[in-house]
Parts: sequence; structure tokens; C-alpha cells
Amino acid sequence: MPDLDLFGWWAVSISGGSIFLTLVSIYLYAGSRKKCNKGEQEAVSIGTIVKNFMFVWVLLSLLVFYIVSIQIGSAAIFAAGNIVVEVILVIYLIRNRTKSE
Amino acid sequence: MAQVLFRQFKNPIFAILIACAFVAGFFSGLNQAIVILSMIALSVVLGFYNEYKAEKIVENLRQNVSIKAVVTRNGKSLQIDSKLLVPGDLVSVYVGDIAPADMRIVKSKDLQTDEATFTGESFPVEKVSDKIDVEQPMPQQLTNYLFMGTVVVHGGGQGVVISTGRQTELGSISRSLARPHPETEFQKGIRKYGTMLITLTLALSIGIFSLNAAIGHPLIDSLLFSLAVAVGLVPELMPAIVTVSLAQGASRMAKVKVVVKRLVSIEDFGNMDVLCTDKTGTLTEGKIVLKDYFSVDEEKEPRIMPYSLLCNNAVVEEKIVGNPMDIAVWDYARENGAQASVKAYAKVDEIPFDYQRRMMSVVVKKDEEFILISKGAPESIFAKCKYAETEGRKEPLSAVLESINAKFSDLSQLGYRILAVAYKGVKAEKSYTAEDEKDLTLLGFLIFTDPPKKDAHQAVNRLKEMGVEVKILTGDNELVAKKICADLKVPVKRVVCGSDLMQMSWTDIKAAVEETTIFARITPEQKLDIIKALKANGHVVGFGGDGVNDAPALYEADVGISVDTAVDVSKEAADIVLLEKDLLVLADGINEGRKIFGNTIKYILMGTSSNFGNMFSAAAASIFLPFLPMLPMQILFMNLLYDVSNMTLPTDNVDEEYIKWPKRWDIGFVRKYTLFFGPFSSLYDFLTYGIMLFIFGAAANPALFQTGWFVESFWTEVLVIFVIRTRRIPFLTSRPGKWLILLTLSCVAFGTILPFTALGGFLGFTALPPEYWALLVLMVATYLFLVDAGKVFFYKICKF
Repeated sequence: MPDLDLFGWWAVSISGGSIFLTLVSIYLYAGSRKKCNKGEQEAVSIGTIVKNFMFVWVLLSLLVFYIVSIQIGSAAIFAAGNIVVEVILVIYLIRNRTKSE
Repeated sequence: MAQVLFRQFKNPIFAILIACAFVAGFFSGLNQAIVILSMIALSVVLGFYNEYKAEKIVENLRQNVSIKAVVTRNGKSLQIDSKLLVPGDLVSVYVGDIAPADMRIVKSKDLQTDEATFTGESFPVEKVSDKIDVEQPMPQQLTNYLFMGTVVVHGGGQGVVISTGRQTELGSISRSLARPHPETEFQKGIRKYGTMLITLTLALSIGIFSLNAAIGHPLIDSLLFSLAVAVGLVPELMPAIVTVSLAQGASRMAKVKVVVKRLVSIEDFGNMDVLCTDKTGTLTEGKIVLKDYFSVDEEKEPRIMPYSLLCNNAVVEEKIVGNPMDIAVWDYARENGAQASVKAYAKVDEIPFDYQRRMMSVVVKKDEEFILISKGAPESIFAKCKYAETEGRKEPLSAVLESINAKFSDLSQLGYRILAVAYKGVKAEKSYTAEDEKDLTLLGFLIFTDPPKKDAHQAVNRLKEMGVEVKILTGDNELVAKKICADLKVPVKRVVCGSDLMQMSWTDIKAAVEETTIFARITPEQKLDIIKALKANGHVVGFGGDGVNDAPALYEADVGISVDTAVDVSKEAADIVLLEKDLLVLADGINEGRKIFGNTIKYILMGTSSNFGNMFSAAAASIFLPFLPMLPMQILFMNLLYDVSNMTLPTDNVDEEYIKWPKRWDIGFVRKYTLFFGPFSSLYDFLTYGIMLFIFGAAANPALFQTGWFVESFWTEVLVIFVIRTRRIPFLTSRPGKWLILLTLSCVAFGTILPFTALGGFLGFTALPPEYWALLVLMVATYLFLVDAGKVFFYKICKF
């Protein structure tokens, strides 16, 4: 079992980092929405927001997975989880690229 | 060379590193101090080598733009490089020339010079050939002396070279020829970026030191660590990388015949969105041809040709040098065997051309008759004429003025440029002045054409596609300018004449410049106003000009563009000199400018965001770990290795869509980028801490922990360039430059084997377990995919 004090600090740090990144994403997204005109703002559905924030969902899922796998202390689970996430990200990237990209 | 070396030590980072070395040597042993000092030395050598190489390139490029002087040797007029002048040479100067040496004036005609760069005198100074009776005169009192570097603003003359180069008055007092240029948009951006970095560095390092000290870490270790973090945050090789990027760009631009005189203007060159230019040589061939000449009653009056050859400033040797219209007259005469017609005349005096009168005159003697001949812009000549000669008779000009104006208007609409020739008989005098140019008899006209360039339409369209709007600023009348635009199918939104501008308020001018394509019949001051108004409206303005009257506008514009054939004062005022006056050449140059800007921005965005991420995680780790997450010398070494990996960034490919449109430096964007991409790097640093502490049990083995983090941090920091350098899919739709790939992968390889080497041992690293490498590969791959996903999100909401 890991040292709980050190593990606690570590979990708080990595969670803090992820939450900070999520908040920055929300802040930037909100900032960009302010610049849009009213018609465009109304056009965005919850589905679109969920899709736009896909990488945030992946990030938060990764956070949970990383904390759990490291708490277990298993390199194999850690490696397997990374491979799954990579596959998800590749699919997301292929589907979300515009033609010019 | 010494200056470049000295510049390396002026960097504030150097002071921080010296402080680090001192503190480390004094408190933590000699090893750390030696490593830090070695890194300082390496950093200085790298910076010096690159900046010195860059300066050499620019110096070589500058050699391409030499200033010429018209010198009389053995009775022959020659045009030579001003560097080849020697004392005793007889040099002729005309309006627009920069005096190429210190000279005693032996002949002058309404000669006035601007000595502002030399004496600070802002008004033109009249220069004469007369002897002066002052013992030990001050430079300002030497009215028969022409000082090197001063500009001829009126008239012309001849002088004997007294001293050249460093022996001149200007050389001896080492006063700069040019005033400092206004700060470019790029320089402003770099300054704001510097302020942002200093604020961030100060806040983070003070915070880290305070926190570490508060939780009981040794004070010296905390101080060293916070100093190392401060150094780690700052991309210290940035000045060298920016200079190399600019110099390499300048070198590439030279290959497309664009010579960069001032490196910092390259970025603005790429980012300019409005180009103000004269039409001659850009929209037209720039080769003025005399198409025809005729009298007021449209006959081939035989005196027009000899009079035009006499009232002419071209230097005629094997090659004809001078004003393009004067050259065109000589070319026509040579082709038609008419040059012998001047043999019967002897030139007595000359009243040189100036921009106020827009005409020149000569007094010639034929047999016992003295004739004053004037040649110039028709309106100016008409104003000085009392009569017109038709069918061999003189009649009042007013009687024929209406028909002349109608003809003049028709020819102008056809795109022709017209000069009028007039004359009168005068009495023999010692000299003549502009006052004598009155009561003239209009003799006829010279009809010049400057045919439209075949590729001008394509060039204007290409600039338009690149987001650069072309505006024509011409001293010509609006009819000529409109005809050229119509021939080239250049859309004209609005035409504004100089007289219209005079009636406008500043607010009206600012509005007018947005919707006007052609500014006709404008003065040099109005050119300046137009550029100021465009800049005030937020445009990055380029100005292309080659005349003496263009110099203030060249200076005021964000990017002053001149041509190799321009008058000296224009070339001096310009930032960029085109070896060919061609808009297509300009478009190629703009492309290069945008590539350079793109690569510089890549370095700044990547460096700031990944450094910020790494240092942020280092700061957090230093709080909860019982030991430092990385030794100061390890942080500094990683920083150095990272900078080395970026040395080939200036050679990287830039995506087409990036250079398609002008970009502006946006410090807000850099801040957002750092805030968004920095934490990605921190997250994976935290993850590495977790793996090292809880899978590999590094809590009891600081060296193992530090090595694991060093390798992960270095891999992520360096490899992320392949994701961040493009908005496209890395490698698949956007291929990095081959040198970037080669150096980056070499650095990654070096960073990977480092822990297994003696140097690694010296730096405090240890061998990592094989399982770690497998996890590292997977973890870094996930990191790169995640950053790519973040990039898709980021660019959807943040435009640049």
C-alpha cells in the first residue's frame, strides 16, 4: 500500500491540475461564446457542448483511471488503460478534424 | 564581433545563472557550480555563434544595396560605388542624393541640404561655392562644404572630395546616419511578452521559495531550486533563435530578390495588410518610353527634340543614367539619330528641378542668341507661359488653353504621361534663377508611356488573396492612375485627389483611407498623412517608394520598401530593398516573412507553455516531496538541451493556411495558450511522480525519482513540438522540416541514454528499470494524443 500522506498529496495535485485545466477550458469556451452574436449562441445545443468538451471528458476519465491504477500499483493495468484511451482519442481526432486539417 | 559577444552577457538570465552558480558553489559543492558554469559557457557560445553568423548574413546582404556617386574623372562622368571615392574626385550631387563624402563645393545651383543628422538643424541649409572668411569655422558655418551623410533637398552642384569614410566629419564624431526607427509591431509584441514572462517568473520563484522555506526545506536548497525554476521558465536562447530565424529568412528572401536592411521589419513585412505604392514599376513596366512629341497644333516641331535634350539631366556616356523621362528622351534621340541636333547649342546655366516647381530650365546659347528652355509638368509650365506657338506664330496661351487641356485630358485617360516644353529669349546674364521662368512660350509636348506590366494583374490578385490590399499613391493625375487600373482590371473603390485631402479633417482622412484605392496628385506630406491614418486604424502598413519625396513615408510606414534603383535617401530610409521592382517579388517576400513569424511564434508558444507546465509541477512537487523533484543543475541542463533541440525550428515548414493571411502579434493569445497547454504538461509530470513513487518505489530513492521525471519531462517537452507546430494532423497532413525532425529525435535519444553515461552520473542521474521505459512510451503517446485533442478544442474557440 502506498504511503497515504504522500499519495493523498499526489492525488490532490493531479486532481487540482485536471480541474484547473477544465476550468481554463470552460473560461476560454465562455469567452469565445461572448464574442459570438446572439443567433449563434442559441444554435449551440447541449449535445454540441458535450461533443466540444470531449477531450475534457477523456481527461477526467483518465484522471480517475490513473489514480485508481496507481493506487493499485499495477503497471499492467496502467499500460492497458493507456492503450484504450489512445484508441478513443484517435477515433475522436479522426472524427473531429475538418477537411483542411 | 565584440558587440555580439557582449550582447550575450547583457541577458538578465545570465545574471540569474551566475547567482545560481555562486550559491551552488558556496553552499552545495563545486560539482553543481561547475555544471552551471559549463551551461552558461555553452549558452554563451551557442548564442554568440548563431547571432554572429546571422549578422554576417545580414552584412553580406547589405553589401548588395550600395550607394552610388556620379564622379568626374579624366573629364568623363562615371557612376561608381561611393566607397570607391578618393580625395580629389569631382562629384556631382542632385536633389535626393546623400553626400557620399565631405566635399568642398565648387559649383552650386540653388543647392540646399538637410543637415539634421549632422548638426541637428531641422531647416534646409543653403550651400554655395563662395569662399568664406571665418577663422576656425564651426561645421554649421561651412556653407561651402558638403558633409557626408547630409541629404540634398534642393538644387544641385559639384564638389571636390576632401575626405571619405571615417576621415569625414561624420565619421570622426561617429554620429549615426539615421534616426532610430519607430518600434515595429513585432518589437512591441516581444516587449509585452518579456513583461509577461518576468511577472510569471517572479511570482512563481518567490512563491516556490516562500513555500519551500515555510515547510522546512533547507533555505539554500530552496533558494537554488527557486532560482533554477526561474531560469527554467525563461527561454534564454530566444534572442538567438529569433535572430537566427530572421537572418535565415533574410537570406532566403535575398534569393527571391528581397534584401532586408533591418531584420526586425521582416515580421511586420509578413504581417502587413495594406501596401501603399506608386504605380510606376509596380503596376507598370517602370520603363518610360518616349512615344511621340508634337507641337501645340500637333505637328512634328523640329526644335522640341533638341530643346528636350538640352533641358535634360541625364548623364550620357555608354550607358545613360538619370531621371527615367530624361533617359527616354535620349533613347528616342539615339534611336532616331536626333542627338546631333544639340551640337549647335552651348549650355550656359541650369535651374534644377525641384518638387515645388515640378519643372527644370536651362539657358543655352546658339550663335549670339540666349534661350531659356523649360521642361516639366504641363500645369506647371502652363502657369509660366504667356504664349503658345502655333503654325510658327505666337498667340496668347489663353486662346488655345481649352483645346490643349482637352487634348491633355484625352491623352491622360489613355495612360500617357506628358511633359510640356516652353522657351523664351533671354539676355546674357552671369546666372539665372527660377524668377526668370516667366512669360514663356509653349512649344509642344513630349508624350511618354509606361506600359502596364503583364503580370501586374496577377500580382495584385495574389496580394489580395494574401490579405494585402494595394493602394496607389501617385503624384500623377487621377485619370492616368484610373486608366492603368482599368487596363489591369484592378478594382477601384474610390479615387481621392490631393486637393480633396486638403479639405478633410483627420477623422475624414481616417475614414477615407479605408475605402480609397487611388490617391492621385498628392504631396509627400499627404503620403505621410495617409500612412499615419492607416496605422491609426490598426493596419500594418507597407509603403513602396523610390523618390526623394518618398523618404518620410518610407520612414513612417511599418515596413518601408524601396528598390535598388531608388535615390539614395529612399534606400537609406527603407527597411527592405527589392532588387526588382515587382509586386510578385514582393509577394514572395511576404510569404517568407510570414513563415519566419510562424516559426518564431511556434518557439514562443511551445517554450512558454511547456516550461510553464514543467516548472508549475516542479513547484507543486517541491511542497509534498521530502526531497527536490529535480536538482537545480538537472533543471538547467534540461533547459539547455531543450533549447538545443529548438535550434532548427527556424527551418521548419509552415502550413499553407498559416501564411495565407496576415497575422498580428497577440499577447492575449500567448497568455491563453500558456494557460491552456501548460497544465497538460503538468498533469503528465504529476502522473510520472505517481508512477515513480507508487509503482517503482522511488520515495526512498531521490536519484531514481529525479531521473524518471527528467526523462519524461524532456520527452514530453521536446516531442510535443510535432503536435503544437501545426493545426493539422502531425506528420500525416503537415510534415515537419527534416532538420527539426533530425535534431529533435537526436536530442531525445541523447536525453534517453544520458542516465546510463558518466555525464549522467555526474549530473546525479541513475539507471531506470526496463518497465519504466515501456510505461513511458505509452504515457507519452497518450499525452501527445491528448494535447492534439486539446488543440482541436482550443483552435475552435481561440482564433489567431
